[in-house]
Amino acid sequence: MKRNFVLHRALAIAKKEVMHIMRDPFTLGLAVVVPLIMVLFFGFAIDFDFRGIKVAVYDQDNSRLSRELVRSFSASEYFKTFAGASAGAPAKEIEEGKATISMVINSGFEREIFSSRNSQAQIIVDGTDNQKTGVVAAYLGGIQRAFSSKLSGSPASDPIKITARFIYNPELNTKWFIVPGLIVIVTGLLSILLTALTVAREWENGSMEMLLSTPVTPFEIVLGKILPYVGLGLTGIVFVYIVARLAFSVPFRGSYLALGAACFLFITTSLAQGLLISVITRQQQKAMQASMVVGLLPPLLLSGFIFPIESMPLFFRYLTMVLPPRWFTAIIRTLFLKGTPFEGLVIPFIALALMAVIFIAAASKRFKRDLEP
Amino acid sequence: MNNKSPAVEIKNLSVRFGSFTAVDDISFSVQKGEIFGFLGANGAGKTTTIRVICGLLLPTSGEVTVAGEVSNSGENRLKEKVGYMSQKFTLYDDLTVGENLYFKAALRKIDNEAASKKIPELFKFIGFSHSPSTLVRELPTGAKQQISLAATLLHDPEIIFLDEPTAGVSPGVRDMFWKLIEKLAKEGKTVIVTTHYMDEAEQCRRIALMRSGRLIALDSPQGLKKSAYPEPLLRLSGLGRSDSELLAKISADPAVEKIWPFGMRYHASLKSEEQLESFKKRLPERVSVERISPSLDDVFLKLVEGAER
Repeated sequence: MKRNFVLHRALAIAKKEVMHIMRDPFTLGLAVVVPLIMVLFFGFAIDFDFRGIKVAVYDQDNSRLSRELVRSFSASEYFKTFAGASAGAPAKEIEEGKATISMVINSGFEREIFSSRNSQAQIIVDGTDNQKTGVVAAYLGGIQRAFSSKLSGSPASDPIKITARFIYNPELNTKWFIVPGLIVIVTGLLSILLTALTVAREWENGSMEMLLSTPVTPFEIVLGKILPYVGLGLTGIVFVYIVARLAFSVPFRGSYLALGAACFLFITTSLAQGLLISVITRQQQKAMQASMVVGLLPPLLLSGFIFPIESMPLFFRYLTMVLPPRWFTAIIRTLFLKGTPFEGLVIPFIALALMAVIFIAAASKRFKRDLEP
Repeated sequence: MNNKSPAVEIKNLSVRFGSFTAVDDISFSVQKGEIFGFLGANGAGKTTTIRVICGLLLPTSGEVTVAGEVSNSGENRLKEKVGYMSQKFTLYDDLTVGENLYFKAALRKIDNEAASKKIPELFKFIGFSHSPSTLVRELPTGAKQQISLAATLLHDPEIIFLDEPTAGVSPGVRDMFWKLIEKLAKEGKTVIVTTHYMDEAEQCRRIALMRSGRLIALDSPQGLKKSAYPEPLLRLSGLGRSDSELLAKISADPAVEKIWPFGMRYHASLKSEEQLESFKKRLPERVSVERISPSLDDVFLKLVEGAER
C-alpha cells in the first residue's frame, strides 16, 4: 500500500514536469534538437587526419633524385611543398608559422646515393603540437619506405616485415571513432543540465515550500523529476543515432536492446547527477555553473573520448572509473564498431547501474527537509 | 483526540541556525476553532515558529504537538492535518489553475474523483470567478492568493496556517481574505495567521506578540490593551511639534506617565485615573483632550519598548 503511494506521488510529479516541459520550448529543444545539432556540428569539425601539411623545401642538390624525393611528398595529399626562401636558416619558415616541416637536401645527395647507396636528407618538424607531430612522423616513415623501395627497384628489404590489418575500422576513419564518443559527451552534458535546473527552479520560485508542506518524500520528488527526462533524453538519442548512421555512415554492429539499456542507464545516471547538483546548489545560476564544470571537462578529457585511458597515470585510470561517461563511451564504441555480444560489456553495465543507484540515493539523501529561515 | 485538547501546543520551543537564535524558548497553545494571530516585525521569529509547527523545520529543542501529533515523530501524519500557505507564492506560474490544484491533490493522496468534487466547492467557498483553465501567471494578485488558499484547503486540514496572506495585496483583497478567514473559523477550523497589519490583528481572537525570537505578550486584543494601558490614554490635539516648551511641561507633569507623537497628534498615558481632571485643568485652552482606548499600535509600541528596556 505504502509502495503504491510512493509511485502515485512520483507519477504526479512526473506528470507535472511533463506539463512544464510541454510549455517550455527551450527545455524541449535542449533535450531533443541541441544534441542533434551538436553531434552534427562537432562531428564534422573534429578530424584527426591531417591533410596539406606545409613543407618548406631546401633542395640544394637540385638533382633528378632530389626532385624525385620532393615529388614523393607533394604527390601525397598529406603534404604541400613549397620552396624555402631563407637559405642558411631552414627553420625560419617553421618559426614564422609558414610551414610545419622543413626539408633540407644537401648538395651531393644524388652523388652519394650512386656511390655508396646511402644518403641523408634532413627533416625539421615543428614539435609544438604533439598530435600533429605523431601523425607527421608516421607519414614520413611511409614516404621514406616507398621512396627507398622505388630506388632499389624492389620492395624494402627489411629483415622482418610487420603487416598490420585494422579490424572494426579498417580505414581508420576518425568519424567512426569521434561520433560515438560525441554522443556520450553531448547526451551526458545535456542530461545533467536538464535536471540541474529543475530542483533549483522549485527553490527559487517558492514551490519547493509547497511540495515540502505536503507529505511527499524527497525520493518521490527525485524519482518524479527523473522519469520524464529519461523519456526526453532517449528521444534525443534516437535523433543522434540517426545522424551518426546517415551523416557519418558510422556502422552499428551491436544489439539495439543493449544500446537502449545502456542509454537508459547513462541518461538516468546523468539526470541523477544533475539533480544532486540542483539539490545542493538550490540556485539555477550556481547549478548551471556547477553542471558545466562537472558535465563538460571531466567527460571530455577523462572518459577516453579523445585521450586514451590506458596512457593515463595509474591514479587517473582509477579516477576515471567514477565517471559515468567513461563506461558509456566503452559501451557505445563497442556497440557501434565491434558489436561484441552483451557478455563483453557486463562490467561497464554494472558500473553504470551502480552509479545510477548511488546518484539517486545521494540526491534523495541530500534533499534537506528544512527550509532556510 | 477529544475536543478539549488544544489544536497546537508548544512547550519551550527554541530554533537556532548556527549561532543565530531565531526562536527563543517560547511556549503557548492555540485552542480549536480559534483565529490566532502572530504579530511582530520581520525577523521576529513568526515564520520560523510556523514552519516548525507545520513540520517543515525541526526544532532545536522543545516540544510541539499539533492536532495530537508530536512534531518530530511521524512528521507526515502531522502534515496531513495542517494546511500551510506560505508568504511566497508557491504555485506554478506556467500551469493552469486546475492543473495546479489537481497536482496538489495528487500529492495529498486525493484521487481525481474526489478532487473534481472538492475543487468546485472550494471555488464557490473562496468566490473564485476565473476559469480553471486560466494559466496562473495570467491571474491578478488577489485571485492568485485565492487559489493559494484553495490549494491549502484541498485536503480539509484541521489547522490552517497563513503566513502573511495579505502582504502586498489591495485593501479590497485584504478585506475579502479576512472574511474567508472568519468563515473558516466558523466552520470549526483553527486558523493561525501572521501579519504586521494592526487592523488585521484586531480581528484575531488572541494575539501572540513576538520580538527577537521571544514571545513578549499573548492575549486577546482587548486584554492586551488593558494590560498595556490600565490607566487612561489621552489624545491631545492642538499642539504641534514646534511646541517644545509645552511638550516639555506636559512630559514633566506629575500626572503624566509618558507622551509620544502619534500621527498628526500626540498620545499621552496617565499614571492614574484620579489625576485626569486635574491634568486637564493644567493644560492651555487650545489643547483639546480626548480619552481614547488604545490601538494595537500603542500596545505594540509600549510592549516592544518594555521588552527593550
